[in-house]
Amino acid sequence: MLKILLEKELRDIVYSTKFAITFGAAAVLLLLSFYVGIRNYQESIKEFESAKTTNATNIASLTDWRSVQHRVFRKPQPLQVLVNGVTNDVGRTTDMRASGELNLINSRFSADPLFAVFRFLDLNFVVVIVFSLFAILFGYDAINGEKEAGTLKLVFANKVSRASFILSKLLGSLLALGVPLLIPLLVGCLMLLGFGIPLSGAEWIRLFLLSIAGLLCFGVFLTLSIMISSLVTRSSVSFLLSLVVWIFSVLIIPKGSVVIAAQIIDVPNLDAVESQKRKFTADQMQKRMQSTQNYFSSRSMSADTGFATAFGAFQDSLGKAYEKERFDFYGRLNEDWRNKKDWQGKWAFGISRISPTAVFQIAAMNLAGTDVEMKYRYQEELNRYQDTYAKFMTSKVGSTADFMRVVIRRYSGNQPSEEEKPKPLNPVEIPDFTDQQRDLGNTVAASLLDLGLLVVLNALFFGGAFFAFLKFDLR
Amino acid sequence: MEQKVILEAQNLTKVYEDGLCALDHVSYTVKEGEIFCLLGDNGAGKTTTINLFLGFIDPTEGKALINGIDATKDPLAAKQFVAYLSDVVMLYPNFTARQNLDFFARLGGRHNLSRNDYYDVLRQVGLQEKAFEQKLKGFSKGMRQKVGLAIAIVKQAPAVILDEPTSGLDPKAANEFLEILQQLRTQGRAILISTHDIFRAKEIADTVAIMSEGKLLAIKTKEQLQHENLEKLYLDYIQGKVAA
Repeated sequence: MLKILLEKELRDIVYSTKFAITFGAAAVLLLLSFYVGIRNYQESIKEFESAKTTNATNIASLTDWRSVQHRVFRKPQPLQVLVNGVTNDVGRTTDMRASGELNLINSRFSADPLFAVFRFLDLNFVVVIVFSLFAILFGYDAINGEKEAGTLKLVFANKVSRASFILSKLLGSLLALGVPLLIPLLVGCLMLLGFGIPLSGAEWIRLFLLSIAGLLCFGVFLTLSIMISSLVTRSSVSFLLSLVVWIFSVLIIPKGSVVIAAQIIDVPNLDAVESQKRKFTADQMQKRMQSTQNYFSSRSMSADTGFATAFGAFQDSLGKAYEKERFDFYGRLNEDWRNKKDWQGKWAFGISRISPTAVFQIAAMNLAGTDVEMKYRYQEELNRYQDTYAKFMTSKVGSTADFMRVVIRRYSGNQPSEEEKPKPLNPVEIPDFTDQQRDLGNTVAASLLDLGLLVVLNALFFGGAFFAFLKFDLR
Repeated sequence: MEQKVILEAQNLTKVYEDGLCALDHVSYTVKEGEIFCLLGDNGAGKTTTINLFLGFIDPTEGKALINGIDATKDPLAAKQFVAYLSDVVMLYPNFTARQNLDFFARLGGRHNLSRNDYYDVLRQVGLQEKAFEQKLKGFSKGMRQKVGLAIAIVKQAPAVILDEPTSGLDPKAANEFLEILQQLRTQGRAILISTHDIFRAKEIADTVAIMSEGKLLAIKTKEQLQHENLEKLYLDYIQGKVAA
């Protein structure tokens, strides 16, 4: 009996005009999101390569390592273009220095405001907005619609159990709507291959899990709307209820959770933190100028190697002391801010997990590596690279002191003679910066909770729909 | 030869949770080859009786038996012997007439019917040939009703229950519909019809039961009704001029 009902359910959905239109729209949007993502990725890679080349050309035009203003650039990742997450809000460029705090500049939005306007068309958007609506459109009248059409009574005038009917409804809807969505997803994957997007094995696995998460999110809305359809007699009411649930899930809960978390944990804004840092740096600068002035007044300046070496050593020791002081102060400020922000984030994500779409978004961002931790992970990579860069600069110029670089250069004994032509720098000598992505194990671990939640929500609403229908008034 | 009782209401009573007595100790039988009309106004208890036979609700008291099987205790077994046509026959609009028939036939336990078998049944109910493979979304109420009747016929169940089958049909379609019911009677089916259409009831029924406010007021055979004005009798019972 289940087979007959299941077959009918599949055919009833697939034969409908509603299916043709909604599936067509979902498929087009899904493929469009892949295409837009691929184009954006290719564009970003071009920009990245071009920026790297410009940086290398600038360095090659110099003759003294002390004059180098090295820049590092965040390399676009293929999955980041499918699930944007926070990637476009994080700066792509960093002025690398041997010491001091590193700042990220040039976010995608600051470079291209139009991109911010049309930021939403990615896989995440298609699943959260389109898939969920698609599910509701098919689920809201699954049960009470049959009652209104009189078919429920006709079916149950036969030797049909309620359990087999609701099972066929749930499984049939999931199969009839879920499986066809795999087609544009697979075509999207073929597009990635066709356009030569370099995906590693781990990234393919992450993309697979991402697709599973999308289908699970779709399943949550489908089973939820079928459950509502089993609880409410009229399809117009169940449509309204499903729509309200959708609005809360997609719009209100995710935004509201951030507002509530901000009320619970008060985190000073970044401007206030930066202002404290600037004041501290200004005070340090003042003190350093004073120390330098004292140094000069106690010694006579001469263009010999001895003075420059001694001055360089003095600046180095001074720089190290101030750097340590700055490092400690900034560290305390950053740690305090980060701790508060972490708690705020935990509250916000905790509350937002009431919403299935938020759960999917968190899972998707974790799988794509574009979660809120992305900026911190990248900054840690930059800090690690800063140590390597500092060692390299020390090997080249004997000092990492940025301060008074002109004075050191002017009075250093390495000044070329009038006849000696300075050699251009070779930028290849600078150690390469590679942004290490989170490994597959950690990625899966980070998204496991949310993937599990999606499975639980599916099971919960599946069970809810099943038991609600056992009590459904067939008349 | 004594005709077999197919449908039997034994002291059927239904009192809802809000205290409304929808059916009050109603008893009757429908035998094979008999058309039994439940005649009554809205709220008389006609549909409640049908719902009890189909196991959609449980009786407060009494039994609804189909082919001797208690529809409350063993609804799935009882439903093997009954075909049903509801007053709202939308069916599945994305399926053709034949596909709808195929689905309900298989649901009713008839698995090995060919396309031609379905066409024969659709011809029997008077559906135009060109409509056999058309989706139901463009069908008129009369055409859908014919497909609904085909569904009831194809199951080949000994009992057929029809809830307000001619409501909303034009006179021609209603007449054609009644002709088909007469054919089913000759095949030996026990047919239970709920209706408030006095004239059609008199025209087709072998037995008419007059119901009002959950009570069975009278049961009249075709012979008894031959010399009576059913409309007057019905109104007299409803208005309490005649004792039940």
